[in-house]
Amino acid sequence: MVQPFTAPESIVLRWARAWGMQELDHYRRAGGYEAARRVATGAITPDQVIESVTASGLRGKGGAGFPTGQKLKFIPRQAPVKYVVVNGDEGEPCTFKDRTLIEGCPHLLIEGILIAALTIGARKAYVYLRKEFYHGRRVLDAALEQARAAGFVGSGVFGTPSDVEIVVHSGAGAYIAGEETALLESLEGRRAMPRLRPPFPAQAGLYGKPTLLNNVETLCHLPVILTLGPETYKAYGPPALFSVSGAVSRPGVYEAPLGVPLRSLIFDYAGGLRPGRTFKAAFPGGSSSMLLTDEHLDVPMDYDSLRLVGSMLGSASVIVLDDTCDMVEIIARTVEFYREESCGKCTPCREGTIWITQVLERILHGRGRPDDLPLLESIARGMTGTCFCPLGESVPPSLGASLKHFRHEYERHIARAAGAPPEVHTVRGH
Amino acid sequence: MATDPSLGAVTLTIDGRTVTVPRGTTVYQAARSAGIDIPIFCYHDRMPPLGACRMCLVRVEKMPKLQTSCTLVATEGMVVDTRGPEVTAGQEAILEFLLINHPLDCPICDKGGECPLQDQTFRWGPGRSRFIEPKRDFAKPVSLGPVLALDRERCILCWRCVRFGEIIAGDDALKGFERGFTSEVGTPFALPVESKFIGNTIAICPVGALTSRTYRFRARPWDNQPVASTCTHCGLGCAVWLDVRGGEIQRVRAREDRAVNDVWLCDLGFFGHNYVASRDRLTTPLVRRNGRLESTTWEEALDLVASRIRESRARGSGRVAFLGGRRLSNEDAFFAARLFRDVVDTPHLDHRIDATPSGASLQVAWGLRASIEEIGRGDVFVLLGCDPTEEYPVLWLRLKSALDRGAVLMTLHAKRLEIHRHARWEQVVRYDRLAAAVEDLAAAVERAGDPGSAAAAIAAGQRVHVFVGRAALDGPESHALLRAAARIVSAARGTLHVMRGKGNDLGAARFGVVPGAGGWAAPEILRQAATGALDVLWVAGCDPATAVTDRSAWDAARRGTKFLVVSDAFLSATAQAADVVLPALVLPEKDGTVTNLEGRTVSLRAATPGPGQARSDREIFGLVAAKLGVLFTYGTSDELLADMRAHAGDIRVGEVLPVPPVRLDGLTGSGDGSAVIATDGLLVVAADHLFTQGTMTGRCQGVTALAGPPHCLVHPDDAVRLGLTDRAPVELTTTHGRLVLQARVSDATPAGQVTVPRGYESAPVQRLLQWPHVAAPVEVRLLGLAPAGGAP
Repeated sequence: MVQPFTAPESIVLRWARAWGMQELDHYRRAGGYEAARRVATGAITPDQVIESVTASGLRGKGGAGFPTGQKLKFIPRQAPVKYVVVNGDEGEPCTFKDRTLIEGCPHLLIEGILIAALTIGARKAYVYLRKEFYHGRRVLDAALEQARAAGFVGSGVFGTPSDVEIVVHSGAGAYIAGEETALLESLEGRRAMPRLRPPFPAQAGLYGKPTLLNNVETLCHLPVILTLGPETYKAYGPPALFSVSGAVSRPGVYEAPLGVPLRSLIFDYAGGLRPGRTFKAAFPGGSSSMLLTDEHLDVPMDYDSLRLVGSMLGSASVIVLDDTCDMVEIIARTVEFYREESCGKCTPCREGTIWITQVLERILHGRGRPDDLPLLESIARGMTGTCFCPLGESVPPSLGASLKHFRHEYERHIARAAGAPPEVHTVRGH
Repeated sequence: MATDPSLGAVTLTIDGRTVTVPRGTTVYQAARSAGIDIPIFCYHDRMPPLGACRMCLVRVEKMPKLQTSCTLVATEGMVVDTRGPEVTAGQEAILEFLLINHPLDCPICDKGGECPLQDQTFRWGPGRSRFIEPKRDFAKPVSLGPVLALDRERCILCWRCVRFGEIIAGDDALKGFERGFTSEVGTPFALPVESKFIGNTIAICPVGALTSRTYRFRARPWDNQPVASTCTHCGLGCAVWLDVRGGEIQRVRAREDRAVNDVWLCDLGFFGHNYVASRDRLTTPLVRRNGRLESTTWEEALDLVASRIRESRARGSGRVAFLGGRRLSNEDAFFAARLFRDVVDTPHLDHRIDATPSGASLQVAWGLRASIEEIGRGDVFVLLGCDPTEEYPVLWLRLKSALDRGAVLMTLHAKRLEIHRHARWEQVVRYDRLAAAVEDLAAAVERAGDPGSAAAAIAAGQRVHVFVGRAALDGPESHALLRAAARIVSAARGTLHVMRGKGNDLGAARFGVVPGAGGWAAPEILRQAATGALDVLWVAGCDPATAVTDRSAWDAARRGTKFLVVSDAFLSATAQAADVVLPALVLPEKDGTVTNLEGRTVSLRAATPGPGQARSDREIFGLVAAKLGVLFTYGTSDELLADMRAHAGDIRVGEVLPVPPVRLDGLTGSGDGSAVIATDGLLVVAADHLFTQGTMTGRCQGVTALAGPPHCLVHPDDAVRLGLTDRAPVELTTTHGRLVLQARVSDATPAGQVTVPRGYESAPVQRLLQWPHVAAPVEVRLLGLAPAGGAP
């Protein structure tokens, strides 16, 4: 008899799961805004904030996993104008943790922003929200209104001389705007295309000023760290929010300690696969991370372990595929997403994604050739290490992994093609 | 990218060779300086690196993946490989990506033969294509305005043209639309592109995506004979290549001259050449017989001119006058001065035919008082009645790059300038209040201004440049305005530039086409001519009928002149009324030199021989002198140059001989105070535009289309009051004349002012104005008819 699985207590997600946390009163009664007040009044100094965040081991939750304490430290203290920019674009396919936090407990984010802004001395913060977060936008706007009325946001926060203005901006629906420098371009009113780095946003970000750029979830961890203390926080894993979706019984957001095995996430937290299905593969960190197969089911879900097997934690969104999935279709659908979302700035991403989808479409439509598999590998090689930003670079690993582990599925489609008459179709721009 | 030599140098190894470059140099530039070629598309050395095309990949030791050499700064001890198998594979992959959706229609592409994509494919590309899918398909070329066509299939999205508008010109003319593989370059709402510099985007396009509608399918690059010459439109003297095929200039390209135009040109320079090959060119001399101009021989025409001059001289000296200079070379001007001063013995010569009789233009020497390069190092620019993009476009590019380095701009004009969003301070006043506004500014600068104000910035500036333009110099109370401008300059220890003079006006001034002792300036020549004081008036290469700012003054002068000689390339409105018309060559057909606005001597090379029996002005003046018994004989061009130097100072090709300093002695009283007309109603004002439909520009399809039909600008508030909509036909009536134009509703003109561009042969604004007034109260009436364009 197997013991039923009980998920450990959550310390971040519980705020979003609790009832009524959109309301300022409820949030305050639960202890909300205390951490921010202590930072504003000087009870916790900026150096202590940075120290605690560094000690907590918190790393960026947007995908790159950069240590947050270090990021705070990088912002030049002396600069007269600085900004906090919150990346709420959450465009990575099958990632929905930020949305859960914004809709469930917007005040946690606002408090996180306040802590970050007061720490680096920024008077203005921008929240760049994904266009499709219509509900989240309403919830966040209402919460901001309450926080402003209570004197927590705006001029003289918590009765101190410090000002922190928070502006919410909705994007226009581009995945690339989740890339931090493209986000800045978009926020400044231009076409979302990644910028050349260096300079990094910490030196010259929004409007050329030092900018702290963090993901929604990252900032939501700050009040928790300051409230519980870094040691207690760390004892929880440190915790991370995983979006688990696809062919599982209970898809959803789960808080689990960093390093939880992939197997546990799928079979314990998400209730395993649906009855009668078997595990085939999974993207461990969104569709940009390399596809893993059952040989990797026991890999710990943390930054370094996943990098060791060639994949990455990314935004910690696990997409589970079962035995009913056609790998060629999955990959074609994935590359198609990147084709549609490529900004068009650099050559390999813009042209490589269209070429790969054209070849995959052809294979799926029964017009594949045996030569197409080495061709696909060669196109992927041409895109590897040559793209301007990570968008294009995310295509080759999963394509390569599928060609390696599921080559027979490609070959089956191609074999079906033998003898089929060629068909001509046109790709139209306009 | 500029590097600072004070930062020291770094040494790196590229392909086994040791290369030392200034710190801050990119690996790409370091390789290039060592003669190592790295293929590249998106990078342009006048713009910061972008890293978009990914073609310039190199391998750097200790770096995990290939690097784009254009974005990578060279560091000490770096070991770079540009040729290894991994690098070659990367470059081939990128080139293959670029080519899969490129139509490869090189045989019918204008760029074929001078195409970086073609060249690099030959050199670095894979031999054959593995791409069997259908290519991306766009509608073939789309028009992006009168001169620009875009072929989106050929476009490799290097973003050079977009960045040119953002970084170099500052006009954001072209932008990226859509995304990913459907990305394309275009204009907002697919409107015609709005720019004065769009020709440059054609020049820097690394493929045949952006093409010139006037050059499309006209020639192959290898058939063109490039002639190194100088553009003679605005007076900046930009270096150009005139590409000639079949005896005709096919296109104009920028020739690099770091001191003047760098590698850029304006669209008048690019597209203002078709007049040279116009079928309307005069090919034989014409004489008036029985009231009609008829073809004749040079011998007969010259005899007639010489005899009329001789007859006049018999009656006394000073009864002959000469007007012209803008379209003459330095040598032509020198010959003109010799002929009229020494042989004909008259002091009445002038090139300033577009000056008003009492305006400040006649009181000061025209031109820049610092080199264009020095201006580019300025930190505060003040534009007073000067609109650089309409008058001296390429100068704006210098100002723009200085602004990007932290300089600031203040503008004061009777219109909103196109570049207004780059100005830190902008002031738009009605034309009759310009002088008062400049006086206020001068007083504020002398008080060092309020913190944050333009005056404070000017007073604190280290290298202040004040540009006084035609609107100020020929405007109401221009003497007072110029004195106030001089006060600003002296309070700020800056430099005053008199932004006046087009074509070779400065050369004409330098080589003697100016009034001698007791001589009359151009407006006075006209006034005297009207009273019958002139027997012979010679007009060379200019059209007073449309250039003199009061049409009736010219008409009266013509009526009072007994014998009018016109030497010109076209039968202009002036020539139509002449007694003798002599067919002349135009500047692109001449060898010689011209003088630019800085006083720099720049050289001309004849691109084509000229039509029919047309002769250079210099030759015509020499022939008339010979008929009058004096031979201008110069064995060699050096002898001529020596003689010119003896007259005008030590001129050297390519070098600046400063123009005379600004002297304000002649500026007395308030100048033409009478020109201010108090009116509560609308005031009509003439303004210089870059694109016009004049004698020459009207014969360049591109420029004519860019200029659009004759029009006037009406402020939206006035338009509402008058019941006008955009593009409505209107009739403008002053006490002096009438004009039918198309109304353009625009807030570029201040309320209460109707602005009419000069330079339309068919609708001369000077019909509405009478000296000494330079602006007049005007009635605007909406016409029920379609726009007629032209004078009723």
